[in-house]
Amino acid sequence: MLIRKLYRTAWRYKSQFLSMIIMISIGVGIFLGFNMEWKSLEIDAMNFLEDTKYADFRLYEEGGFSKEDVRAIQDISGVEAATRYLSVNVAVKDAKKSVALNVSENYTVSTMLVMEGEAYDEDVDGIWLSDKFAIANDFSLGDTMTLTYAGAEITGEIIGLVKSGENMICVADANQLMPDYETFGFAYISPKKLEKTLGFAFYPQINVISHMEKSQLENAVKDALGRTILVTDKDVHTPYAGVMSEVEEGKTMGSILPVLFLAIGILTMVTTMHRIAANEKVQIGTLKALGFRDKKILLHYTSYGLVIGLLGTLLGVTLGYFVASLIVSPTGMMGTYLDLPDWSLTIPGFCIPVMAVTVGMLTLISYLSVKKMLKGTAADALRPYAPKAMKKSVLEKLPFWENLPFATKWNVRDILRHKSRSAMTLVGVVGCMLLLVGGLGMKDTMASFMVMLDEDISNYTTKINISDAADNEAVKELATQVNGDWLASTGISYEGNTISLEIYRKDNKKIRFLSEDNELMELGDEGVYLCLRLADTADIGDTIEFSPYGSEETYQVKVAGYVRSLMSECIIMTEKYADSVGMEYHIGAVYTDVTQDDIEDSDLISDKQDKDTIMDTYDTFMEIMNLMVIIFVVAAVVLGTVVLYNLGVMSYVERYRELATLKVLGYRDKHIGKLLISQNIWLTIIGVLIGLPAGVGVLYVLITSLVSEYELCLTLGVLTYSVSILLTFGVSLMVGFMVARKNQKIDMVEALKCAE
Amino acid sequence: MAIVEFKEVTRIYTSGDHEQKALDNVNFTLEEGKFVVILGPSGAGKSTLLNMLGGLDSPTSGTIKVNGKDISTLSNNELADYRASTVGFVFQFYNLIPTLTVYENVALVKEISKDSLDPKKMIAEVGLTDHLQNFPAELSGGEQQRVSIARALAKNPKILLCDEPTGALDSETGVLVLKLLLFMARNYGKTIVIVTHNQSIAKMADVVIRVKNGKIKSYEEQANPMSAEEVEW
Repeated sequence: MLIRKLYRTAWRYKSQFLSMIIMISIGVGIFLGFNMEWKSLEIDAMNFLEDTKYADFRLYEEGGFSKEDVRAIQDISGVEAATRYLSVNVAVKDAKKSVALNVSENYTVSTMLVMEGEAYDEDVDGIWLSDKFAIANDFSLGDTMTLTYAGAEITGEIIGLVKSGENMICVADANQLMPDYETFGFAYISPKKLEKTLGFAFYPQINVISHMEKSQLENAVKDALGRTILVTDKDVHTPYAGVMSEVEEGKTMGSILPVLFLAIGILTMVTTMHRIAANEKVQIGTLKALGFRDKKILLHYTSYGLVIGLLGTLLGVTLGYFVASLIVSPTGMMGTYLDLPDWSLTIPGFCIPVMAVTVGMLTLISYLSVKKMLKGTAADALRPYAPKAMKKSVLEKLPFWENLPFATKWNVRDILRHKSRSAMTLVGVVGCMLLLVGGLGMKDTMASFMVMLDEDISNYTTKINISDAADNEAVKELATQVNGDWLASTGISYEGNTISLEIYRKDNKKIRFLSEDNELMELGDEGVYLCLRLADTADIGDTIEFSPYGSEETYQVKVAGYVRSLMSECIIMTEKYADSVGMEYHIGAVYTDVTQDDIEDSDLISDKQDKDTIMDTYDTFMEIMNLMVIIFVVAAVVLGTVVLYNLGVMSYVERYRELATLKVLGYRDKHIGKLLISQNIWLTIIGVLIGLPAGVGVLYVLITSLVSEYELCLTLGVLTYSVSILLTFGVSLMVGFMVARKNQKIDMVEALKCAE
Repeated sequence: MAIVEFKEVTRIYTSGDHEQKALDNVNFTLEEGKFVVILGPSGAGKSTLLNMLGGLDSPTSGTIKVNGKDISTLSNNELADYRASTVGFVFQFYNLIPTLTVYENVALVKEISKDSLDPKKMIAEVGLTDHLQNFPAELSGGEQQRVSIARALAKNPKILLCDEPTGALDSETGVLVLKLLLFMARNYGKTIVIVTHNQSIAKMADVVIRVKNGKIKSYEEQANPMSAEEVEW
């Protein structure tokens, strides 16, 4: 019989039950979704990297390693496998496209996964091509393609479509944010084919699988080869670093917002269950008077919490899978970033207990709410629940209090009398505001980042990538010919970290620089400039010390200023300063306004890129950003609506008698509606005042968690502020009207019959 | 002059297939300034009658004229204005706003009533000047009922409608409240209609209307009503 009562009670409080279930499922769903996102990403990516024997370390030598070198490395105890390796960006002939050409000499490290076509065989004379690049450019098995590298042509039949861990994030260089398979992919050929084409073997890289520490390996390599070699670990290699930073971001995202949602869900439950129990007090008393034992009544009402918890969690898990699949799936956000063969979703271990605890807490909440109502004798329980008696608050001591209109006094006292309800309303508004400011602000920040990158910094039309073997003097001559500037970038060790040193010729202002305040600035020739991420390490005027990788030498340079480096963590100096301190470097890129087609191919040039093409790769990134913003905005509106509606209805129910009294006295519906809405509006104003700075704060946290990748500048447009505020007020007003409309249905006669 | 005129008033409540006639072809008139008691057992329809008169409910058929105006066909807003200007209510359970003080509860009516009376004066009349700043929960039942009388009268209505005004009070307090009600009504020249099942109260009335099963059983004018002290409780 009590089961039947459960259904009926649930029906009676359908909007409350529904909103509790929605809040719990949103809370659980978002919590689970975001945490599944990073966990699944981590597992799927790591499995793939392991399957394709992704290298733990990369050894570099510009002149190339010899067969003896790699043998010596293989003999180091602790090295599981090592191979000479080539990875170089080459152009696809007669197309404005390029691919990373990969050759793994003994195919024990940095291998590929053949999705379709022939398995790897070093004697086979074909090309294994990235399947995604093939799809984007209409290549299929059996087609012939020609690559141009350092003046030579590599032609072959496409015999396999593949994925590879080394190219899991397939970008041309650090300046490319997102893969763009229409313009850039990767390909593998056998070492025999490479040698046949070039006429000699050239491997500037040795890839190593080993569980050694980096410093250990460095020393072992030095002992084995008798010279210092640049060793980098996978932490600085794009695929691994990219995934790990996504995982870290996921963890950050998974800890702030979802916990907020979950907390709001549980808090909603506390206030609502208490309210329902209070409303049901007479029924509880009746059951008690009928002779039901406390235990049985408790069990009955506690089951509400359990049912809501279970239903909410169940829906939440479904929602979680949905949210996670929006991100982690071949067609999801990560699908455009990562090239993975397997996109399984995994629930992180800790989520199960969290969900169990959530259900347990919800059950406990309803248990405690009812327990309170059961106190004392059956007669006590039969008496309706009486809210706390009114007491005067501090506010009433204020001199102007007496002059306030009665509606104001009424609302202020009501807010103070029902503190938890008011607090929950505030939390709802703050949450809504926070999500809006966070989401829209993120978009603003990224948009301003794009503008800075496109318009302020990149003042060129074409970027010419210089081949590894090119001679600096010849490149400088080329730069002068095309009226361009150039960049030489090299890895250095500074304060124990690997960062890049960027040396620029900037006379033609093809690359420009931004100060901390986002103003264009001129680099002087009197010292180096630290990017903002390094600003804490030295003051202007200090002398700092660094050493280029693979070199014993250390350089002491003066800090002349700071510069906003949007992407790389770097130290920047001009060509003149580099020459004055005797830096050695190799020019990697020339920036010019001459268009691609007007630049003659030569063996200096490995490939050419339009700025527009480079900027286009950001489009995908911005699309993802927009999707995120939509999710944030939808979440904000849902959160705001559900929380405010639930509390609005509660407030309405609690004040039903008061409202009925006003109606009897002769208040019009509109007048009463205004009273209800004005309370909403005040709470919304307070919520907005709290939510705005809180949103900026959350945004700041999110942006600083990205700081290792980009130097973003927190930007919030007027539009963001206005949209956030207007939307929050819109939600609040809409809910207010929805609740206020109910007062037309107040049954004055019914309401006034019963005792308070 | 007749201030209230019920003509063939019928009120049918329907819930599902079930129909209940709460009022069945009711006809009567009331003169201005009279003290009227509507008497009847519970479920007789007396509260329905009062609610019709107070503009809380509208008849299914028939007309109700108050002060010459037909209120049976008014819209919701017109009914609200009617309640604000013409009638004052006193309920069994006082129905004060718990979050407003005594003064504020009475002053409330200034917002809706054009020719309301001074709240402080009305509170003084019911003898609660010392409790102006108290909240309802800080008052006794009798005191709360006095506040609600002050509130009802502060609107300066034509008719005072009371639904079991002493129902929740002990008899001693009940007498005091009744006396006050009568005194105030007479003093301010109001028509007063009390709905009750308490026979004793009827002895004080100018007019006693007995209601049973939704119909008027008797309409009786008393030439010499007793005073509250004379009535045996």
